[in-house]
Amino acid sequence: MADRSPAGNLWYGIVPAVSLVAAFFVVPIGYTVLLSVQSPETGAWTFDNYRNFFSNAVFTSALLRTLWLSLTVVLLSSIIAFALTYFLVFIADPKRRVLWLLLLVAPFWTSFAIRAFSWQLVLADAGLITWTVEYLTGYLPQLKLLYTMGASVLGFTLFGTILISLLIFSVMITIDPRLIEASTDLGASRTRTFVEVILPLSLPGWCIGAVLTFIVCVGDYAVPTLLGGGFRPVLAQLMLSILKGTYDLPTAATFAVILVVLVALATVPLLAAVRHVRFQS
Amino acid sequence: MTGAVTAGRTHRWLFGGFFWIAASIIYAPIIVMIVFSFNSSRFQVMPFRKFTTDWYARVFADAQYVEGLINSLLVAGSVSLIATAIAFLCAYSLVNSEFPGKMLVTVFVLAPLAVPLILIGISMRLYFVSLGFQPSLGLAGVGQVIYVMPLAILNLRNRIAQIPKSQEEAAWALGASRLRSMLEIVLPNCKFAIAATLILTFTFAFDEFVIAYFLTNFSITLPIKIWTSLVTGFDPAINAVGTMVFLFSMGLGICSQLLLMKERKR
Repeated sequence: MADRSPAGNLWYGIVPAVSLVAAFFVVPIGYTVLLSVQSPETGAWTFDNYRNFFSNAVFTSALLRTLWLSLTVVLLSSIIAFALTYFLVFIADPKRRVLWLLLLVAPFWTSFAIRAFSWQLVLADAGLITWTVEYLTGYLPQLKLLYTMGASVLGFTLFGTILISLLIFSVMITIDPRLIEASTDLGASRTRTFVEVILPLSLPGWCIGAVLTFIVCVGDYAVPTLLGGGFRPVLAQLMLSILKGTYDLPTAATFAVILVVLVALATVPLLAAVRHVRFQS
Repeated sequence: MTGAVTAGRTHRWLFGGFFWIAASIIYAPIIVMIVFSFNSSRFQVMPFRKFTTDWYARVFADAQYVEGLINSLLVAGSVSLIATAIAFLCAYSLVNSEFPGKMLVTVFVLAPLAVPLILIGISMRLYFVSLGFQPSLGLAGVGQVIYVMPLAILNLRNRIAQIPKSQEEAAWALGASRLRSMLEIVLPNCKFAIAATLILTFTFAFDEFVIAYFLTNFSITLPIKIWTSLVTGFDPAINAVGTMVFLFSMGLGICSQLLLMKERKR
């Protein structure tokens, strides 16, 4: 036990980490929240910044777009990741599956911007897909794949799929094979075994993956800029242009607070739901 | 040999096929980028003209890329050392000490994971500029420490928790101080996890550009230089840069995972 140690409790090891997070994370965010409820001219307390945000059609449509994009990505990535992980854990050769997993997730550690850029090469009007279609059919198609919401969804979904697969794998691999055998021996179909045994047991890993994917989607501007283009901006793109362009600090702060609220609204119910499921089973 | 589910033939082909299609979709654009990095044409369009390594030479002749690379290596190196050291102390205390509010402290130090990176960048910029600080590489480094430290704490906490308590207790019984037992028993026991964490935090800091973009003004890191090339204009050398950064980071990422697995198995 800890208190049997010679020098007593070593709790003060947490001090550097806690001070760093307090000074460079909590205080700046607190300052940002305060800035968002102050009038830019007079410095008086006001909710004008929020009123302006929600009465600006460009801002609100960016908010809805961000939400739609992020939820679509989380949904698609989750479905794909479950199929991939199911293959790795229950179908693939156990000796090779770690190798396949590494192959699948290796691009996760590389730059987001570079991966988004590499998709430009494929999707652009003179890119690989258009070229291939022209080469095969002999006529030049007008595909317009790049700078669309679909391209953004694609870019984020690949990232989300990798991340969620990694997290589901770490949980799914710990499922006792005897549970699966018991389920099939008792006559359950593969689908039923998946829905009633594998899925609930994998939810804790899925939940963390889904939340992290959502957080990345609402806050990233590389993929929306390089693949989605500038005509239908998401919140992060507007934030960047405000901060680097017009330099309207209270508005930038308001955006930041709305982003945090968005993340909290999505995260808290999900975490609560998973905890509920885990206690039941 | 198959897994636990006695998979039928179609079942296996279906999921196996899906896996390999997904893997090819993930890798296809990167392979296209690597191929174009050796293409002599200025324009990134098919067909492939002639094989050349000129773009690679041009990257290293470009002072901005070189400056960015040096800055990135310095910042990411410092970030990784500082974040891993502080995370080790924190993880050790979280595993081996009892104190009131431990759960709260854990949530507190992991909290930066729960917000988008853009928020760390924007709030630090707003706050420190209001205090009269100018954005700089140092400030960007601090922001990146906040970003990578929670990951380091999670990595190290898992490993430290696996070390049998009895070894440390034996050292105490023989009169070793808490610090000495930590240095001589815990530290060697998780050297692979520490190496993996150093590499992982380095990789994340090296590739990070959202925080760095907000917290620097004139000095650039490599990802900022790459970002500027990507959005402002057409730079045919970008394929070569992308290829090198991609392979470098991916290699580091795989190394760190292999190190982690190695220790877990022992």
